[in-house]
Amino acid sequence: MRLDYNEDQTTFLTFLGQMLASSEAEFRAAEDWGRYEYGAALDARLEENGFFDAAAEEELGTVAAAAMTYEVAQKPVAIECGASSLLRPFLGREAPRPLAVVLDDAPGAIRYLPVARTLISVSDKTVRVAELTEGSVSEVESLYAYPMGTVDRKALSWSELDVASDRVRVLWRVATAAELAGVLKGALESVLAYVRERQQFGRPLGSFQAVQHRLSINAIEIEASRMLLLKAAQSLSAEDAALALGYVQKIASRVGYDFHQFMGAMGLTLEHPLHRWTYRARLLRADQGGSSSASLAYASERWGAP
Amino acid sequence: MDFNWTHQDSAYRQRIRDFLQSELPANWADIARFGPGSEEQTEFSLQFCPKLADAGLLIPHWPEQWGGAARPPWEHFILGEEMWRVGEFGSDEQKRQYIPEMASGKAIWCQGFSEPNAGSDLASLRTRAVREGDNYVINGQKIWTSYAALAGQCFLLAQTDGPDGGRSGIAIFLVPMDTPGIEVRAIPSLIGHGDIHEVFFTDVCVPASSRLGEEGEGWNIISYALANERVGIPRYEMGTAELDRMVAELKSRGSFSDSVVRARAAEAAAACEAARLLVYRVVDGRARNVPPANEANLARYAVVTAEHLVTDFGMDFLPDSFSERSHLSFLSHHERAIVTGIAAGAAEIQLNLVARRELDLPRGS
Repeated sequence: MRLDYNEDQTTFLTFLGQMLASSEAEFRAAEDWGRYEYGAALDARLEENGFFDAAAEEELGTVAAAAMTYEVAQKPVAIECGASSLLRPFLGREAPRPLAVVLDDAPGAIRYLPVARTLISVSDKTVRVAELTEGSVSEVESLYAYPMGTVDRKALSWSELDVASDRVRVLWRVATAAELAGVLKGALESVLAYVRERQQFGRPLGSFQAVQHRLSINAIEIEASRMLLLKAAQSLSAEDAALALGYVQKIASRVGYDFHQFMGAMGLTLEHPLHRWTYRARLLRADQGGSSSASLAYASERWGAP
Repeated sequence: MDFNWTHQDSAYRQRIRDFLQSELPANWADIARFGPGSEEQTEFSLQFCPKLADAGLLIPHWPEQWGGAARPPWEHFILGEEMWRVGEFGSDEQKRQYIPEMASGKAIWCQGFSEPNAGSDLASLRTRAVREGDNYVINGQKIWTSYAALAGQCFLLAQTDGPDGGRSGIAIFLVPMDTPGIEVRAIPSLIGHGDIHEVFFTDVCVPASSRLGEEGEGWNIISYALANERVGIPRYEMGTAELDRMVAELKSRGSFSDSVVRARAAEAAAACEAARLLVYRVVDGRARNVPPANEANLARYAVVTAEHLVTDFGMDFLPDSFSERSHLSFLSHHERAIVTGIAAGAAEIQLNLVARRELDLPRGS
């Protein structure tokens, strides 16, 4: 048992932190008050520098890939990272990224699809991929702070992969848990910065115990989420992955409401980035059936089928 | 980062399990029903702890010169580490006097911390210790003191600087409970027989050599001890074990197929695992000799949450079991779930500390 990052992971995350400190990752209000900004330039630089390949390297592994997903998700710009860092190295073939993922042919718009070059489809028995040709995807207007899109799935040219769908589901649960925990952490830091400064009744909002206690609980739960997802990233057990995703999906809504509560009217504006995290969290908390589904999956893994 | 146990750790765990398998009596749940302060459990502990000591399982983490094996933190963190602080801060004479009995498992200590007007605000304690020549004369009152009626020794906090001395005036005394002037009264309570007490000190005279550390050092020592106590008992493990027993009971009744029940069990389990990993972070820091930061405050709050969720699960879906003799452990767990947010510093105090130290939020005016 050793719960700090190893030397290689520390170096990897330090370099990642330097890249994410770039002004490209900072918040700018999007054109026409759009709900998201895709960090295309930063995405390209992360790819050029091999950051999305960490999982395949022995000393970095899936723990570093999950930690990277958690870090990237904290930024107000959206960058497709979870599927690229945790699924792509295990597909057994090249898959041009960014990636989009659909499970069990779930209907509706798919996140990251408008920027994606590959769509991965996971069903009970098979994992298939299709490269997306230009013009095949229609962007869908949505509240979610992701590029959302649809595609005629039947018209795509699918190839079946020689990889167990159960394993991909576990990796995807870990990736989603990492992304959601990172989104919540990004929002927390933003709210903390605000309540440290914002003065009311002659003192900072963050000095009121009613505010402190709720933010402390939120911070404890986000840190617990991080530990649970990193453990799942190492073990890649179905039990750990379901637990990690179920836990963070369960806390996401309450934590998100708290953040808006303490940000007050400023959090309602599109000039402040809080909405970016809020609406990514809104989508992620319902992903793959949401907390109930993950909890039931965990119960079956731990205590057997009903 | 590595969440796996080493082979040595796993073997050590197995050794403890084998020991408990052979040494714990079949009626252990009955013995433990009324808690560690009850006559039944105390009588048992005084037999059992020396066996643990003989097997090298009581104080393996203590330094070798005091009878331990200097084993690493991962092997022993379940043990009461605040007593180890005696070895850290005590004089040689104190070590010779107290450690052999503690190391052999025959000692029962109580902690004279809380007072009627000094609970969460422990530093405002008013029990006075006045220096008179080579002695101190102690006057005051302690309350909520666990095991006081059975204890041979008291780890006592007292103020040496006058009524408004604050933290800098707090000193620690190791006081034999049979010293004249000490009166103990049990407080009937929810949490086990003989568990909490009032202790009155009237002109209690102790030699100056019974002071642990210097005058004014007490607060630092106690802060360290409380940081250990906050995560000293792996309550998430008790919660996990109770949850598994509750699920087994529901399965035996054919009631564990309902999705609502299964999801609630999973949520309670998730809270236990969250608490486990946050506690592990504290132990990990100790194992790597990293100075403690705020991990114990985060961990303790998570443990409280986990205890509540496990208890609520049982009370919601097995309400009848909380009055049956066949499920004594459920009832004991419920009683512990109430106290867990209060002992060793209220949960809200942990949140205050997280806010200020971890989140860097400003103090109130």
